[in-house]
Amino acid sequence: MNNSLDLICIIDDDPIYTFAVRKLLKINNFSDNQLVFKNGKEALDGLITMQNKKDNLPDVILLDINMPIMDGWEFLEAFKISNFNKDIPIFITSSSVDNLDIRKATTNTLVNGYISKPLNNQSLQEIKRKCL
Amino acid sequence: MSTDTSPTILSDEIHDKDFLSTIEDSLAIGSWDLDVTSNTLKWSSFTKKIHEVAADYTPEVSQAIFFYKEGSHREKITLLFQAALEIGQQFDDEFIIVTAKGNEKWVRAIGHPKWENNICTGIRGIFQDITEKTLETKKTVIKEKQFRSLFDYSLTGMALLSLEGHWLKVNHGICKLLGYSEQEFLNTHFKEHTHLDDQKKGQKELKLMLSDQLDNYQIEKRYLHKNGSSVHCILSLTIVRDSDRKPKHFIANINDISEIKKGKNKITDLLTVSSKQNERLLNFAHIVSHNLRSHGGNLDMLLKLKKEEYPEVITNEYFPLIEQAVENLNETIQNLNDVAIYNSLDNNKLEPLNILQYTNNALSTINGVIIANQVDLDITVDKNITIKAIPAYLDSIIINLLTNAIKYKRPGVNPKIEIEALQTESHVMYSITDNGLGIDLEKHSTKLFGMYNVFHKHKEARGLGLFIVKNQIEALGGTVEVESTVGEGTKFIIYFNYE
Repeated sequence: MNNSLDLICIIDDDPIYTFAVRKLLKINNFSDNQLVFKNGKEALDGLITMQNKKDNLPDVILLDINMPIMDGWEFLEAFKISNFNKDIPIFITSSSVDNLDIRKATTNTLVNGYISKPLNNQSLQEIKRKCL
Repeated sequence: MSTDTSPTILSDEIHDKDFLSTIEDSLAIGSWDLDVTSNTLKWSSFTKKIHEVAADYTPEVSQAIFFYKEGSHREKITLLFQAALEIGQQFDDEFIIVTAKGNEKWVRAIGHPKWENNICTGIRGIFQDITEKTLETKKTVIKEKQFRSLFDYSLTGMALLSLEGHWLKVNHGICKLLGYSEQEFLNTHFKEHTHLDDQKKGQKELKLMLSDQLDNYQIEKRYLHKNGSSVHCILSLTIVRDSDRKPKHFIANINDISEIKKGKNKITDLLTVSSKQNERLLNFAHIVSHNLRSHGGNLDMLLKLKKEEYPEVITNEYFPLIEQAVENLNETIQNLNDVAIYNSLDNNKLEPLNILQYTNNALSTINGVIIANQVDLDITVDKNITIKAIPAYLDSIIINLLTNAIKYKRPGVNPKIEIEALQTESHVMYSITDNGLGIDLEKHSTKLFGMYNVFHKHKEARGLGLFIVKNQIEALGGTVEVESTVGEGTKFIIYFNYE
């Protein structure tokens, strides 16, 4: 695993949220490069294309649950069988406080943590701590 | 013992008195002899026994008639005697007599007139006690009658069926139930009136009954009405056997349960409606917990970021107001969330919890507030009492009530809080009593546990604590009551189920 989180992948269908997260990452000098996908399907296709082109895959994925076309859970299933050549930590970011969602997220082996929205500096520190 | 020498009615050849009296005793039959010429009456010893008179009793001709019960019995024997005397007619009939001891007995009296030269010279006869037999017969007759009226007038369907399944007798109830006349039923097979899908129902039981392994069974099945509609019924079928346990016939009792079925369907429909409504509520809860939170969270993030990136915005007069509005919005969403979660949590995870331990935990959680407010605590809770609850709920309930008790203290009076637990036969009664402001229950009792009701002007009052407390207590299967006097204090009493 890398020592820094240079490229952060945000998968979320809410443009206001993605705008705000990118700002937050920049203001806190967390990362300058972000990949943004509007849903699971777009993200999966994009990541596979990157891998085929031998581009650098992201260092961490922030994944929303409720999205159109392919939601967070479906993305995780597809991600599992896509054989990416990099071990990318995934964090579920959601505003759901439903215990079922939280339990489902934390018991998924691909998921490194559940980060409750809205994100703030503390959430970023938690992500960093768990990844590095 | 009779001393007469005339021939007896049994046989002219039998003159052995001892032998005769042995026969009388063993057959429980007595004899009597009226000699018209000398106007004397003789009773054998067994006849005397039946009349319950002494062995040396001598019946008087004129008095004997009074042993017969007054009314129809006495009138009948009088007529029969007259006919015997006048035209030599024999009689054999049953009467009630009243014995010397006042007991009523059923007797059979047979009389044979003796006829000489066209004149009746005497009547000889037999006297038999038939009380037991008659009463038995009468009982049977009554039973028969009872059964018959039950059968005929019962509102439920009753029928007699042959062992092969043919209707032998049906009552009015069945005719009404299925629309056929009694005549139409007779000698048809019950299967002709059974719904096609239920033809095989009860086959096994029928076999068991016929092979003496079962006496009765009940089954729900559908019959066919003459008009083609199906009728939901409960059938109770009983096999009748003779004294050798040989099957004779079946008695069927058929009850229409269509109305009950309809009622059941209605309940099912209502359940569907309410579970749909429940589903909508859960959806609502989900929208609150997810969508609203997303939007509120976004606003919050944007404002914080803007403030960080452009610190000068604070000087804009709108900015602090927008900030306050967003903060309020998020707090409301948080409150709604709390409520939504309590309503949608699974309630079946109750575990036995020690109430003293949870009380102490709650006290240490709010220890800072207790010290700051110089609270005087008085705890009377047995260390062995456990209740059925969910840890998070119990924590929340106790902490909420304790902080309320401190928050709404009377100005200038140090808070005093009494905590008590009492195990009763059915519940654990847990009470928290304070000496605070008190609540005007006459005004507020209906709204006390409602959402967003604040009864005191306090900076931290958000009107949700008691609403959540009540919801949690009820989710645990408990109830909560409140007693309060304004200016004296408040007592909350919770009834928990205990382990």
